[in-house]
Amino acid sequence: MTVQSDDRKERYRRQIAVFGEEGQEKIGKTRLLIAGAGGLGSTAALFAAMAGFGTIGIMDPGCIEETNLNRQVLYREADIGRPKADTAARAIRAMNASIDVEPVTAAIGTTPVKDSIRNIDVVIDGLDNYPARFLLADAAWRCRVPFIHGAAEGFYGRVCTIVPETSPCLRCIVPGLPPVRETPIIGVTTGVVGCVQVTEAIKLATGSGVLISDHLWLWDGLRLRSDRLRIERIPTCHVCGDDKYQIPAKEGVP
Amino acid sequence: MRVRVKAFATFREVMDSQVDLDFVSGATIRTLLAELSGRYEGLGGLLFAAPGTMRDFVNILKNGRNIHFLADLDTTLDDGDVIALFPPLAGG
Repeated sequence: MTVQSDDRKERYRRQIAVFGEEGQEKIGKTRLLIAGAGGLGSTAALFAAMAGFGTIGIMDPGCIEETNLNRQVLYREADIGRPKADTAARAIRAMNASIDVEPVTAAIGTTPVKDSIRNIDVVIDGLDNYPARFLLADAAWRCRVPFIHGAAEGFYGRVCTIVPETSPCLRCIVPGLPPVRETPIIGVTTGVVGCVQVTEAIKLATGSGVLISDHLWLWDGLRLRSDRLRIERIPTCHVCGDDKYQIPAKEGVP
Repeated sequence: MRVRVKAFATFREVMDSQVDLDFVSGATIRTLLAELSGRYEGLGGLLFAAPGTMRDFVNILKNGRNIHFLADLDTTLDDGDVIALFPPLAGG
């Protein structure tokens, strides 16, 4: 065993006690794409880096604004105006130098979406709008890559792990296209939801526990209550439905 | 027949988290939403863009299945149904 791997073993000792060396090794071999480096994405990137995911792609075309600082945990006041993807990548590299971090400053859909998820094992949805979510979730479904959907508003949040072939897709949960608007949002909610998304990613990587894949997990911070809502795959869905209903992907069309 | 309605996220700010309602046979989701809109002030504006026209991004599930893929507002209710109402949280 090399000195470096001994160092890693020590670094992860407390969580190796949770899922074993084999589990840690699986996490280290898992390639994550975190789409969106806002409230959800920056929380997810932070905890994914600490957990030791071997490769973390961080995709966001935006720059840091003052209004991001109430929830986007990787950024500081001095970062205002800097690209989110690069800044987030730098922040998590400083936390864990043993992982590969790949910032991408392109927006979803400006390059072929399937290229964004090539060589990716799990996608974490940190996006803030549904046109981009549908583009990525549809591509992930077709490329057989699990997509961990998350969203937040105010004190409310939700997570669903979409596992191609076995669970309903995002279109089955959200059939219409919600309006794009500035959402009221608070850091404690994106923190909870981002952590739950990484919990799901750890379970996917290690094969442990039960995924929230046929239910929608709903968080209510105002009442400190969570619910699981069963969801079903829709046979006529044009993404995950029966073969005769499926419509081939068109790039850039949500 | 009795139907259980569960509300989630911001809908809880205008209605109870859970309510049981009784209907006569033949009632539909449209009947249910009219009953709820009459009972809870402010709910109608969240559900409908115009009278009879539901906002298409409002999620209504009947026993886990989105009514958009059933018969929309004309989806019939059955005894013991669980109807879930929730908005599409969008932020990230």
